[in-house]
Amino acid sequence: MKIVIVGNGKVGFFLAGQMVREAHDVTVVDVREDALRRAADMLDIMVIRGNGVSTDILREAGADGADLLVATTNSDEVNMVCCLIAKNLGTGYTIARIRNPEYTASLAELRQNLKIDMVINPESATAVEISRLLRFPSAANIETFCRGRVELMGFRLQEGDFLVGKPLRTLSTQVKKLSLLFCAAERDGHVSIPNGSFVPQVDDKLYLIGRPNSLDQFFRVLGRYAPKIKQVLVVGGGKVSNYLLHLLDKTDMRIKLVELSEERCRQLHQVYPRVMTICGDGTDQELLESENLSASDAFVALTDQDEDNLIISLYAMQKGLSKIITKCNRQNYAGIARSVGLDSVISPKFITASHILHRVRGMQNSQGSVMNSLHRIADGGAEAMEFTVSPSTRHLGVALKDLRLKSGILIAVIVRGQEIIIPEGSSALCPDDIVIIISRDSGILDLNDIYVEETPAPVSGGGVQ
Amino acid sequence: MNLKLVLKVLGRILLIESASLALPLLVALIYGENPLPFLWSIAITALLGLGLSVLPAQKRFFVREGFVAVGLIWMVTCLLGALPFWFSGYFSSFVDCLFESASGFTTTGASILSNIEALPNGILFWRSFTHWMGGMGVLVLATAVLPSMGIRSHYLTQAETPGPVFSKLVPKQAKTSKILYGIYCALTLLEVACLKLAGMPLYDSFIHAFGTAGTGGFSNRNISVGAYNSMAVDMIIAVFIILFSLNFAVYFLLLTRKFREVLHSDELRFFLLAVAGATVLISVNIYPLYSDLVQTFRYAFFQVCSIISTTGFSTTDWSFWPQFSHLVLIMLMFCGACAGSTGGGMKCSRVLILMRSIRREIHHIIHPRSVEVVTLDGKVVEESTVHSVLTFVGCYLLVILSAALIISLDNFSFSVSFSSALTCVSNVGPGLEAVGPAGNFAAFSPLSKLVMSLCMIIGRLEIFPILVLFSRSTWRRA
Repeated sequence: MKIVIVGNGKVGFFLAGQMVREAHDVTVVDVREDALRRAADMLDIMVIRGNGVSTDILREAGADGADLLVATTNSDEVNMVCCLIAKNLGTGYTIARIRNPEYTASLAELRQNLKIDMVINPESATAVEISRLLRFPSAANIETFCRGRVELMGFRLQEGDFLVGKPLRTLSTQVKKLSLLFCAAERDGHVSIPNGSFVPQVDDKLYLIGRPNSLDQFFRVLGRYAPKIKQVLVVGGGKVSNYLLHLLDKTDMRIKLVELSEERCRQLHQVYPRVMTICGDGTDQELLESENLSASDAFVALTDQDEDNLIISLYAMQKGLSKIITKCNRQNYAGIARSVGLDSVISPKFITASHILHRVRGMQNSQGSVMNSLHRIADGGAEAMEFTVSPSTRHLGVALKDLRLKSGILIAVIVRGQEIIIPEGSSALCPDDIVIIISRDSGILDLNDIYVEETPAPVSGGGVQ
Repeated sequence: MNLKLVLKVLGRILLIESASLALPLLVALIYGENPLPFLWSIAITALLGLGLSVLPAQKRFFVREGFVAVGLIWMVTCLLGALPFWFSGYFSSFVDCLFESASGFTTTGASILSNIEALPNGILFWRSFTHWMGGMGVLVLATAVLPSMGIRSHYLTQAETPGPVFSKLVPKQAKTSKILYGIYCALTLLEVACLKLAGMPLYDSFIHAFGTAGTGGFSNRNISVGAYNSMAVDMIIAVFIILFSLNFAVYFLLLTRKFREVLHSDELRFFLLAVAGATVLISVNIYPLYSDLVQTFRYAFFQVCSIISTTGFSTTDWSFWPQFSHLVLIMLMFCGACAGSTGGGMKCSRVLILMRSIRREIHHIIHPRSVEVVTLDGKVVEESTVHSVLTFVGCYLLVILSAALIISLDNFSFSVSFSSALTCVSNVGPGLEAVGPAGNFAAFSPLSKLVMSLCMIIGRLEIFPILVLFSRSTWRRA
């Protein structure tokens, strides 16, 4: 596909990199020469210097024949105008990043009048993610499929967990009868798909997929069922916090917000009177102590500075809080943070890019099986994809044990009507099933991509059933 | 420094080189000549290439590796390209073979042969075919035909594509290379057809088309294109020389019907104006020699095209022309063709940027607080680009002067020493006096020949890849 990305910031650059890896033709437009040079040096793309709202520049970038235009400059208005112009030039599909909350109310009209096909708000998407983590505290991160009927959770093994040191196939029947599957394991930054002989070790991060209530039961058995979160301490009152408060306002959680600017505190308190707003420096340990940090159930670090977020999260971890969510935009920091035990590190950039990538892949599947959603798990080391099986999918009705799948591919869940099936060797795909595939490599775009052709031999499915 | 990966890339390029040796082998077989020189060369090149390309290597590949790879690849390619010449036995020393090969790949067209016509057809075909490969670049060819090695291939093509700024035609490097080679092949075949129609033998048509396409200048005749003494041949070659010295992006713009942008290209206008201006000046200057307006124009136009494009064909021995014409031609040698073409020299766009920044400097002296930007094609040229152009021009002159200094050890006249250094760095071919269109480079010492071969590669790769290769900090661990 021909893709034009306007704005080569963090999201634009990350997206361009992913799309190049998936063999799209990418052109990046930006006004900053140095940013463009960096992109052109590192990626196989074309760069054009200029303002994305200029028709000439967009035409030079090939927007007139492009399939997709993503506008991710730091100005909402530029993004909107850019999409409008591109659409008039003949771009097939336009995505705009719009982050100002003031626009959120009138988003529907805006989208219609400006012919924007998709609007993505990184802060709002991040807030949704955080609220989900707060509502399901057992997991480090959660992805949902089939409108919440299937969930995928990641958690880190600790000393003394009953899973440690035994192959998965020897697990007790109590666990085996739960409808869930170990679908990925991350050890020392390396992601693998575990089979029955996989031996979990302390500090492995395991990913489980299954029904939400099965997952709940599993965590109960594991003795890690965290009680519901009642008291949350949020540091930083930026855009993400604003959206987060909006989402949490409807729940019964008590929220304490620490923000440096008094003006901002007033604004937030005006909108969310239930929230306890505290004006002060959230990186000041004494302040956190006096606000009784250790009595909170969860801690969310959302300041503008990645470094501050990481440090105060470490402090909170030291104070024994079980649920700590850290915003960190820099991917390289996130890796270090995970290695010291901060599991829920989230990056608005990463979330935005995932949303857009998912849509791009969906667009590619005009024929064949439709990809409904894509989630990147284990730090991008693996992907979980939801497909709807169409009649054009190959090997329909063939038992899974007779199929030969590419290595690093796992058929994790089949949803047939109301039924949620954790597949066994005898299961088979039928049209209109929804399947969730776990893949270690990016680039599975169609359900037919998972098969190795011509050499049929049984595949070893793994995990607990 | 990830030397293993660099060597692996080198190995792949050598495989391409050994494959391309099959063409002259075929020619040698058709003419019933001794195929052994080619068979040996193919065997050695392929074995070396295979050995290097199976090296296990990490995928770490940055600008440093890119530059070293380009420099190394060109030097080794030229070295192995000399093998057929050496095995043929027509050359007296390996340095001569190396000179001839470097002159071929860098599209210089300077020769140490005094009687070209004595050589077998296969060897002459290889000699000209190196022009064709070197013109658009062996690495551009490699990115077009080889699957990506997962490395950032534009680091390779960037160093090989001439001009102050590197830009792609389409987002994918591999596709850009394919388009470039597509245009290149189409134009070459068109020229072969035109020359054949104008009455040139097919073999000669190919030789001269390769010479034109790469803007090289090797002919299979002792007196170059002049041997055909045909107005039609002269004009066909002159026109194609101009076509090959334009930025290839122009053809892409024409193919995608963006005519307006073509007309707005400053560099294109400057190049055509320079050709027209120099033709008029030389015509006026040499008119007394020919006393025939058509003949005067024919020789002047052909020579101007041949020199500004850095091809180096000649239709007449212009060493008998007056000094003024010589100096006009020398200036054209400095200027060279357009960026993104197959030609050498400093490139018209650099000359334009240089002149405009000189004008800006003058304004700045008169109005010390004035702020001006340098523009090209109506777009602002980055200050860093202006800077790199100025540095480049400085380096260019330094390289020529240092080379001339070493060559002067052979005790030829100033004209010979200087013009031979200039002609090698600018990839033109002929110089003045003894190395003029009728002369050759045989008389130089082996040291001078080696220096000149290196100068040709320095000029072809626009200096920096070779300087990087010889810089100590490149090879330091940290």
